[in-house]
Amino acid sequence: MPAAILVDTTRCTGCEECVLACKEENDLGPDRLRPGQEAVDGLSSTRFSTILRKPDDHFVRQQCRHCLEPACVSACLVGAMQKTPEGPVIYDSELCMGCRYCLMACPYGIPRYQWDAAAPLVRKCTMCYPRIKEGKEPACVEACPEEALLFGEREDLLREAHNRIAQNPDRYVPHVWGEKEVGGTSVLYLADISLGFLGWAQNLPEEDLPHLTWQALHKVPGVVLGMGGLMGGIYWVINRRMRLAAQAADAAGGGGVPAPSPEDLKEEGGEDDR
Amino acid sequence: MTARLTTLKTVLWTLVGVLVAVSVVRFVHGLGAVTNLSDGAPWGLWIGFDVMSGVALAAGGFVLAATVYIFGLERYRPFVRAAILTALLGYAAVAVGLLYDLGLPWRIWHPMVNWQYHSVLFEVAACVILYLTVLILEFLPVILEHRLFRGRPFQIVLRALKRVSIILVIAGIVLSTLHQSSLGSLFLITPFRLHPLWYSPIIYVQFFVSAVALGLMTVVIESVFSNYFLGHKLHLREISGLGLAASVVLWVYLALRLGDLAVRGVLGMAFDGSWQGALFLFEVGFSALIPALLMLSKRIRGSLTGVAIAASMVVLGMVMHRLDVSVAAFARPEGIGYFPSWEEFAVSLGIVAGGILIFLFFVENLNVFDDVKGHPPEPKPGFDPEAVRSFLPGPLSLPRRYSVAAVTGGAVALLFLPVKGVDSRPAPVQGPRSVEAVIQDRGEEMTRKLALPVATIPAQTTRVLMLDANRNGEVVLFDHDDHAQRLGEERSCETCHHLNKPLDENTSCYECHRDMYAPVSVFDHDIHAEGLGGNDGCIECHAGETKVKSYETITECSDCHGSEISPRAFIEAPEPRWGEASSYMDAMHSLCVKCHEREAMQAPEEHPEDLNRCMTCHDVDWREDVKQLMPRREANNRLVGVPASSSAPSGR
Repeated sequence: MPAAILVDTTRCTGCEECVLACKEENDLGPDRLRPGQEAVDGLSSTRFSTILRKPDDHFVRQQCRHCLEPACVSACLVGAMQKTPEGPVIYDSELCMGCRYCLMACPYGIPRYQWDAAAPLVRKCTMCYPRIKEGKEPACVEACPEEALLFGEREDLLREAHNRIAQNPDRYVPHVWGEKEVGGTSVLYLADISLGFLGWAQNLPEEDLPHLTWQALHKVPGVVLGMGGLMGGIYWVINRRMRLAAQAADAAGGGGVPAPSPEDLKEEGGEDDR
Repeated sequence: MTARLTTLKTVLWTLVGVLVAVSVVRFVHGLGAVTNLSDGAPWGLWIGFDVMSGVALAAGGFVLAATVYIFGLERYRPFVRAAILTALLGYAAVAVGLLYDLGLPWRIWHPMVNWQYHSVLFEVAACVILYLTVLILEFLPVILEHRLFRGRPFQIVLRALKRVSIILVIAGIVLSTLHQSSLGSLFLITPFRLHPLWYSPIIYVQFFVSAVALGLMTVVIESVFSNYFLGHKLHLREISGLGLAASVVLWVYLALRLGDLAVRGVLGMAFDGSWQGALFLFEVGFSALIPALLMLSKRIRGSLTGVAIAASMVVLGMVMHRLDVSVAAFARPEGIGYFPSWEEFAVSLGIVAGGILIFLFFVENLNVFDDVKGHPPEPKPGFDPEAVRSFLPGPLSLPRRYSVAAVTGGAVALLFLPVKGVDSRPAPVQGPRSVEAVIQDRGEEMTRKLALPVATIPAQTTRVLMLDANRNGEVVLFDHDDHAQRLGEERSCETCHHLNKPLDENTSCYECHRDMYAPVSVFDHDIHAEGLGGNDGCIECHAGETKVKSYETITECSDCHGSEISPRAFIEAPEPRWGEASSYMDAMHSLCVKCHEREAMQAPEEHPEDLNRCMTCHDVDWREDVKQLMPRREANNRLVGVPASSSAPSGR
């Protein structure tokens, strides 16, 4: 049963207590503007979660979604990004080699990099994995004074989300963001505005991203056998024909054939190559 | 011929020198110090050119190996060894380029021990490592043929390698097929970020086919290169044959590329007038359509210039395709741009230069262009004293000339390189924001405290500004009305809003608060300027006339007034430094006045007693029948502190 967070953006007042709690919990220190970063309010390597301020006092919390089928985990070539059975997607800094493919792959553009460090790491929300292991709530959920954040089993939270929509149809857009997008995420959103701006596409599809990769990757064994066999076969056929032609020429008296001599052919075609 | 070669090598060595200099900064200060990469553009020139294009450019190795060894087309044999050497150096360059691009390059071996079958990048890494090994084994016989390795053990290895050569060739072809295509598969997982004109569910097929065409054309360029610089024989008939083959492959590529777009119904985007559409049309035309058309003509194919031009177009165009996919057509957050820094270009060029130098070394010392079996190798270009004398006279031989070039290149690069690491600017908290704050009681200490309310507890609140006035991420709450009230109601506006400084529309906090948490002083610029001798005195505080007059370049008050600060005159900053700053009034009342009161009591003869009196600083305002203490004002309506004659700790 994966753990999840339900974000009711209609309850958020933008006080940023969750951001402060997150900074404290993860010991992130004050914000610094990184190269290419416009404002500090975006995510950064010192800010795992943030409140996006939208017109008309809409406050939308931004953080890692802990996808059920995470693209970053599928992309990582050393297994530094891991999907835990409890739900959070965590990062093992001991394994990471710094290729930044996870930054490329994330459909929500979440992971951040320590560009100013000589030994940089990827930084992102871990849903306070150590706290969850201890049986506690994530720091942000605990800090929220408005109960805009709820922590619990994903199923329960989905039920709660649909309940709220059913009870207050005027208050919410009837959609739970994260229920189905890219295979489902562990951070669910309720809102009174469309939250399409949170992803790289307005309407993220319901199928997960790793299967797109798998469509190509599962062909690898076939390509190995097919290409290897094909090349071996062609080589065998052509080599045999040339040898036969050479023998025929030899038998005919060895005179008339102008091109490569039998010895050359045999050696070059067969063994004398690199 | 030799002069050309010497010039080329001098240029290459200079580039290598620059590379060495940039490397130092790259590895000491990290990626941010030398690249323009960011969270919005995590992959840049080094991936797009060094890795993506480098691998594609090295495709000649497996294409030619297949042509000659598998398909038995013997007339292309003269190209094989050079193609394999290029491939070997190309992949070595990819590995070196990766060392620069990886954040933690010393962990480049991690994929070898931690297998992740679900990652395309893992597949690429595994194939590249294996193929590099295969290429070394494929090229080793050429090295072992050298007279240095006449010994018996070497000859045994040589014979063993020759015996397994066909297995190596087939392994090389299989591995190349896999990772040439997988470099395209890398982007399958980014359907929302890669522009639809480049994204394709069969992008890996497109990558493979284009790599084959590119490989054929790289071999042509290489031939022309070694003819021009080394005087090697040109095989025109075969070059023409390579051209025809490339043309066929390019048509297949075009069919795959355009056909796929048409089937998915996005071909129209190419003509929608966007810059991506224009880029796409240019790229496809330049890299495939025009060269493919050119090489259909027998006359153009027959002329060296014709094939060379078409080949250059394919090579540049396909490099562009790789860069488009990984950088240009890859979406970035709004407002985030990316263009490589000069250091990124320097590293890419330096690695290529190093590769060419090693290529030249091998060509000069080994039988790489074995034109026909049994022929003696081309005489290696001899030492030409003329070429040297033109640049450096006397005993300075070629190696020294190259060292001078490399060192000069490195030194010049060092001049322009950043000495410090990334300058991560302290960040303002999205400018000032208006928030509700709870006013806490002033209490005995006359301190007024503001605090952010807990939304669930009702309390009397006031509208204040949340400022990051020190620009270090530590915020304070600023109450405008309170400031106005203390500084003299409506008469006080100009204190902050019309200081008449250049480019200053309203006064920054630091005009009064040098540090939001340090003791506060009101600084009077005019009085300082007067005392320091008018315009000649500027330089006393503003370091150097060329620098911008700003908070960062100004002389600290304490540099001149340090002796006047009382050792105990310090308001403790709240820890952690999030919250309210000490106000001007608090600082004056609890630092200056209290200290003077104490000192005046302990040693009345040494301290002028009036310095602890209200009236020293305050006028009495009788307006509206309210007796109110106002800051003393001079005729020009500026606030004044303690009279200049006294030795007040707060200065002016």
